[in-house]
Amino acid sequence: MPHKPPTQEELERRKIVGIHGETITDVTSTDFPGHYPGEEHSWDIDAFRRGFSVEFHQNDPYEASFSLIGCDASIANAFRRIMIADIPTLAIETVFINNNTSVIQDEVLSHRLGLIPFKGGHEGLHNFLKWWRKPADESQINNSYYDFNTVSLRLEVKCEHNDAAAPNETDPTKLYKHAHVYARDIEFCPVGRQDRYFSGADAIAPVNSDILIAKLRPGQEISLSMHMHKGVGSDHAKFSPVATASYRLMPVIRIERPILGADAEKFARCFPRGVIALDKVTKEDAAQRGSGYEGHEGEVKAVVADPMRDTVSRECLRHPEFKDKVKLGRRRDHFIYLVESTGQWESDAIFLEAVAHLKKRAQDLEKQVVNMVR
Amino acid sequence: MSREQYQVPTTGSGNTGGGAFSAPAPRDYAGESGGVMYYMCGDCAVRVPLEKGAPIRCQKCGARVLYKERTKRMVQFEAR
Repeated sequence: MPHKPPTQEELERRKIVGIHGETITDVTSTDFPGHYPGEEHSWDIDAFRRGFSVEFHQNDPYEASFSLIGCDASIANAFRRIMIADIPTLAIETVFINNNTSVIQDEVLSHRLGLIPFKGGHEGLHNFLKWWRKPADESQINNSYYDFNTVSLRLEVKCEHNDAAAPNETDPTKLYKHAHVYARDIEFCPVGRQDRYFSGADAIAPVNSDILIAKLRPGQEISLSMHMHKGVGSDHAKFSPVATASYRLMPVIRIERPILGADAEKFARCFPRGVIALDKVTKEDAAQRGSGYEGHEGEVKAVVADPMRDTVSRECLRHPEFKDKVKLGRRRDHFIYLVESTGQWESDAIFLEAVAHLKKRAQDLEKQVVNMVR
Repeated sequence: MSREQYQVPTTGSGNTGGGAFSAPAPRDYAGESGGVMYYMCGDCAVRVPLEKGAPIRCQKCGARVLYKERTKRMVQFEAR
C-alpha cells in the first residue's frame, strides 16, 4: 500500500499536547526522521523558514512578551537559559567596609548590596566596559583595576537625631536623619574615561532608588566603598539581566459540541476573563444540520476568544455538563516568552543578545569540530 | 611597658593560701594614645571618652555597660 502524505489537519493534530482531567498526553515532539514510516522529517532550513515566525505582544523597556512559533523546545529553552545565565551585566562584586556600626552584619550588608540592580549608559556598559579577571598573582590585584573594567561606588551614611522633629514624634524617619539607607544614597565615583560614557542621565545608578539597604539609629554609621565588575548569571544570580525569562506553550481550547445558554455562562466562568466570549447563535448556525445548533437560534453560545490568556487550569474538565464537549491542549511549537529586564538592558535587546550568543557559540563549536576531524 | 619589665604573676609558689597578689607594673596608657579611649554606651549608644582610672560610666545616661568601638581597619567582603 503506498504511503499517503499526512493531511494539514493531521499535521496540526501532531503539534498538540493533550491535556485531560488527570493526564497529559503526546508530550514529546514527533517531527524527526524515522518516526512516521514513509515520511521525511529531517531538519531543513527552508522548511524551518517557512514555518517560523515571531510575534510581539508587548514590548516595554523593562518587560516584553513575544511568541516564537514553529521552533523546537530545545532551541526555545536554549534562548531562555542564555537570557538568564549568559548575558553579561554590571554588579557590585567587592565591598570595602571602613565602618559599619548598624545592626546588619558586614557579610549580609555586602550580599544585599551585590543584589541591587544598576543602570547606566548602554554604550559604556556594553562596549566600553570589559571583563575583569582576578590576577593569578594575588599581590598584583591592585594593579588589575582600570577604568574599563571596574566601576567605583561609595556609600557614606551617618544617622543623627533630628532636632527639628516634633517632641511627640514616633516615626523614626522623621525623628532621625538618615534612619533608612536607600539605594539612592549610593554615590558613583567616575574614574578616567568613565566620565565620557557615564555622565548625566547615563550615570551609573540604581534602577530602583527606593531599595532599602539598612536601617540606622542615632550614632550608627555605614561607610564603605564598592567595586563593580561585569559578570554572567551562571556565576551569580546578581549578574542575571532578567528578573524572569520564562516561556509557556500556547493553550488550545477546542469546543467540540455546542455549549449553550446558562451552560455557556458557566463555561466562561471556568476560564480567566476574556478567554471565552458569549455570542448569539445566528440563523446560519441554526440552519446547519448536525451542528447541534438546530432550533437554538438567538440563544447564547460559548466561543473561544483569546486562548493565549488561559492559564489551563482544567476547571472546565471537572464539570459533567461539559463532558466530551471541550478538548484542552497546548501547541508544542508555540512558545510565549515573558522577559522582564532588571534595567541594564532593554528587554527585547536581551533576547536579540541571546540569539547572537547562541550563534557565536555554535560557530565556535563548528570551528572546533572542523579542527577535530582534520 | 617593655617585655623585660613584665613579671609572671606567681600566686601559687610561696603563699598557697592566696591573698598576696603582686600586680604587674601599671601600663602607661596616656603616653601611648593620647590618654583618651572612646567606648560606645550600651544603653544610649553615645560615644563615651574615658581617661585612665575614670569610672566606667556613660556621661550622658549613667549606664555602666560600655562597648569597645569597631576596628578602624578596612574589611573587604565579596558581595555574594
